[in-house]
Amino acid sequence: MKRLLLIVLSSLPVVLFAQVPKGFTAVKDTVAFKQKMESQSKLVNTIESDFTQEKYLSVMSEKIISKGHFCFKKINMLRWEYNDPYKYIIAINKDKMFIKDNGKVSKYDINSNKMFKSINEMMMNTVQGNLLSNKDYKAKEYESDKQYLLELAPVQKGAKDFLKVIQLYIDKADYSVVKVKMIEPGDDYTSIDFTNRKNNQPIDDEKFIVK
Amino acid sequence: MRNLLLSSILLFLLAGCTLGHYGRLKEEATTSSIPKPIFGDNFNSFLFKTNISIYNKDVSGLLVTKQMSAQDYRIIFTTELGMKLFDFEFKDTSFTLHYCVPQFNRPALLKTIQHDIAILLMNNLVGKPANDFTDRNNLFAIKRIQFDNMYNYYFTEKVTNHIVKIEHSKKKVKKVVLSLNDYKDEFPTNVVIKHCDIKLKIELNLLKR
Repeated sequence: MKRLLLIVLSSLPVVLFAQVPKGFTAVKDTVAFKQKMESQSKLVNTIESDFTQEKYLSVMSEKIISKGHFCFKKINMLRWEYNDPYKYIIAINKDKMFIKDNGKVSKYDINSNKMFKSINEMMMNTVQGNLLSNKDYKAKEYESDKQYLLELAPVQKGAKDFLKVIQLYIDKADYSVVKVKMIEPGDDYTSIDFTNRKNNQPIDDEKFIVK
Repeated sequence: MRNLLLSSILLFLLAGCTLGHYGRLKEEATTSSIPKPIFGDNFNSFLFKTNISIYNKDVSGLLVTKQMSAQDYRIIFTTELGMKLFDFEFKDTSFTLHYCVPQFNRPALLKTIQHDIAILLMNNLVGKPANDFTDRNNLFAIKRIQFDNMYNYYFTEKVTNHIVKIEHSKKKVKKVVLSLNDYKDEFPTNVVIKHCDIKLKIELNLLKR
């Protein structure tokens, strides 16, 4: 059941597309792009943002839309909270993970499970836009006038069973992730749009402990 | 000591099984049609916040039901974060597993959840005879319909005409009890599926229809 939870968490910041959307071309100097992404992420110590999550299921006429708020703080602290239409919180505080659902808090030790650790790393890298250096994904880089599009296909067979590709849309102005998409093998997808993003505002450590 | 031992064995055998109250029900002379499926609502979809609790392990997520055609329902369970866990289709009397994450793909668990949802959908009852009963206090209209090798008892509250309980029973022993609560606009906003012989409980809370 822990493995299931891990897989569940792995889908957190992801959305997928089968093809590169129109308006994007391949990044020519991928080395410079990677260096710029890494240097920019080093400047960010905290992130706070609202998000809107859309779940597309081909058999359904309407998307499932959930809204919430997330906080990130170096090193390794994340709070991902849904407010509408349900209350649900996942928080990571270094080596501990908390889930609050329906008023009940569950606490897990991230180091107790190898997969927990890898998903934790992926979540942290995704919100910071650091997935380029992750060997578990094969990356392709594209750009338009205003955005970069980073497309990441999982390499490992287990991940491929439930994930076709992750797309990260990155604002060229400040290298922040504005949208994440995770496409499943059957082309159903989850997309998450980030709005009202604030970098480097003080966030109390207490925020990452769920009671 | 011998009696104590026998009592212990009996207690063990009956643990988790609950004797039904069917002997106290009064059978009506007439038989009638099957109850109207609660999810058969103009091909609408329903979204539930859902928790599956099995042997004290919880899996929560969002369950979507969609009536595709008259006798065809699609049931998809995803995590709150959007990851699809399973995708079921119930069409007439057939069942199709469209998708399931490996971690959820345990035959006994899947079969049990599939069975529970089938009871709730009431999709494969067409053409089956229903026996009518009433309870001693005449509060419920009760229909008994054969389901697999067991019986489903559908309890409809006479005052509201709402199906408030479904009991899935083998002879006189209740195996699964489905409670349909807090009706709003003629639809239950809370459904609890509880097994009597294993520690499995599924709770659905309506978010949107």
